[in-house]
Amino acid sequence: MNLLRQCVAITNANLRSLGRRQWISISLVFSVTLVTMILLGFLAMANGFNKTLTQMGSEDVAIVMGLGARSELGSSIAPPHIHLLEEAPGLVKNPQGTTVLSAETIVPVDVLGKQDHLPATVSLRGIGAHGLTLRPSIKLVSGRLFTLGANELIVGQRLSQEYEGLTLNDTIEFGRSRWKIVGIFEANGSVFESELLSDVKVVQILFNRPNQVQSLRAQLAGPNSLEQLTSYIDANPRLPVRVLSEKQYFSAQSERVSQIILWLGWPISLVMALGAIIGALTTLYSSVSDRQVEIATVRALGFSRISAFVGTWLEGLLLTLVGCFIGLCAALLLLDGWAASTVGTDNTQIAFELKLSFSMAANAVLLALLVGAIGGGLPALHATRIPLRLAMTRRS
Amino acid sequence: MTLDTSIHLKEISKCYQLGKNEITIFDEVTLNIPTGDFLAIMGPSGSGKSTILNLIGGIDRISSGQITVGSLRIDQMSEAKLSQWRSTHIGFVFQFYNLLPMLTAAQNIELPLLLTSLSRYERAERVKTILDIVGLSKRGKHLPSELSGGQQQRVGIARAIAMDPQVLLCDEPTGDLDRQSAEEILDILKILNTEMGKTIVMVTHDPSATAYAKRTLHLDKGQFVRKELEAAQ
Ligand SMILES: Nc1ncnc2c1ncn2[C@@H]1O[C@H](COP(=O)(O)OP(=O)(O)OP(=O)(O)O)[C@@H](O)[C@H]1O
Ligand SMILES: [Mg+2]
Repeated sequence: MNLLRQCVAITNANLRSLGRRQWISISLVFSVTLVTMILLGFLAMANGFNKTLTQMGSEDVAIVMGLGARSELGSSIAPPHIHLLEEAPGLVKNPQGTTVLSAETIVPVDVLGKQDHLPATVSLRGIGAHGLTLRPSIKLVSGRLFTLGANELIVGQRLSQEYEGLTLNDTIEFGRSRWKIVGIFEANGSVFESELLSDVKVVQILFNRPNQVQSLRAQLAGPNSLEQLTSYIDANPRLPVRVLSEKQYFSAQSERVSQIILWLGWPISLVMALGAIIGALTTLYSSVSDRQVEIATVRALGFSRISAFVGTWLEGLLLTLVGCFIGLCAALLLLDGWAASTVGTDNTQIAFELKLSFSMAANAVLLALLVGAIGGGLPALHATRIPLRLAMTRRS
Repeated sequence: MTLDTSIHLKEISKCYQLGKNEITIFDEVTLNIPTGDFLAIMGPSGSGKSTILNLIGGIDRISSGQITVGSLRIDQMSEAKLSQWRSTHIGFVFQFYNLLPMLTAAQNIELPLLLTSLSRYERAERVKTILDIVGLSKRGKHLPSELSGGQQQRVGIARAIAMDPQVLLCDEPTGDLDRQSAEEILDILKILNTEMGKTIVMVTHDPSATAYAKRTLHLDKGQFVRKELEAAQ
């Protein structure tokens, strides 16, 4: 009980004396603020990316790709296999009796940024007749749909705003092919908005890829359909393909990218935290030397070593927590909801929002506590070793 | 009836390691201070005056010999025991007062009381009584920086006697004060000695301060020399 009182009294006296060393204390607070914001920035980026992609995916659309392909770009499906899949169970057929299925092919094309005038790669996707049925979120905001068999494109709204030559009625050249932009669409900010869409037949011809199909998209009939389809494919060794729901596909893709963001973000944050620890060490060593006569005096009065330790340690923890708190608030105000974009797995631009969460805040607080505990711990140990005779010989 | 708190230093030595050299401050010094004594210690700078107070008060350790206070061998006590013993048996008065600048006079005096089981109310009562004794009943809420040197030293004395220790160790308590404040402080110490029976050991550079003490010892080159003997030579 009286140990607690000792610690409270010393901590109280310490904190009141912060004004004597305000600048160095403030610099510690801000270095922790910086660490917090950087960590939260990365975490929010990874999370936002994940969320954006996962939310967009639908449970009742199946995506079929070649076996062993990690993404659509490396995938290919031969025409006989497409015919086998048209007969597969679990897929919806329209009243005319044809399967609601879209054979698609993706071509990476180069465009120029409006602001930085730098080239960027985006996806031009050729879709089948049911391609838009399978993407119900797509809505035209201006112009019209492309005509089947014509070299016409519709463009995601965001791409149209960011890159040159993609506004309505523009004509743009990709390699030797010329395309007319006939419509602009939006898709709730989903990845679809980051693509150019056209008729798959035209894309195959103009890019000299006869009959090449990279993925199939099909409407699943019900909750069990994905399983049915999977076992149909498994039971048929002549079908070297794999099937995923659109949701699974997106989250697998985003997982990889957000993993990369985290692999980058954590080491950078930890190196910054190391810097903050060194800052904390400097700050608190100076605090201890500033208070050494005071510490020696109360120890001479009978206060324990533990109270000298705790007083200093809590000062460190408190300063870092204040820094962390400011960082959390700043991140909430500045970062949360900030729009960003990154290169997706298929080397295409994907737009997303930074999203903060409670567990990220917890991570940031833990990191700050680590900085305070280590950066304050050593000086606190030093405080316990101050020779008591300093009380007699030095002026405070 | 006062407790036996006579202080006995028997053949004590104190050495410091300074780099490769060993510096001997005391070599087999013996000193006896009876209960209720008021001893003044004088001597040139560096003669070991502060060191002897530190040794008696248990904030520094002897290299060899024995120190007994009352019936306790304080040189053999563990650090935790010593710390506990110090809080109840020894009061320190410092040349530069050593008040915590961010705490009020009353909070400074309360510090040693935090080591007891006294309630907040009991502590406040005790602080009030002691402020009265040192004549600062109206200054409890003041910060040290708002007090004169003499007043700060009175707070220092108040803190030293808050736990009602039997022994007061004062290191140049008037060394930083003007004549009049110095006399006020010495008057208080005198009263604490004669009326409350405290044993006082006071280091001083001021010859006139020794008039308040019962006896004066001179410390020179690590040895005590009695003033009367010196005068008789
Ligand atoms: N930790 C230490 N290491 C080495 N020497 C020390 C140490 N502490 C004290 N000394 C030396 O011991 C001697 C006695 O010091 P002390 O402080 O007791 O002197 P003093 O008589 O109080 O002097 P002053 O009148 O200046 O206060 C001095 O020579 C001092 O330099
Ligand atoms: Mg001294």
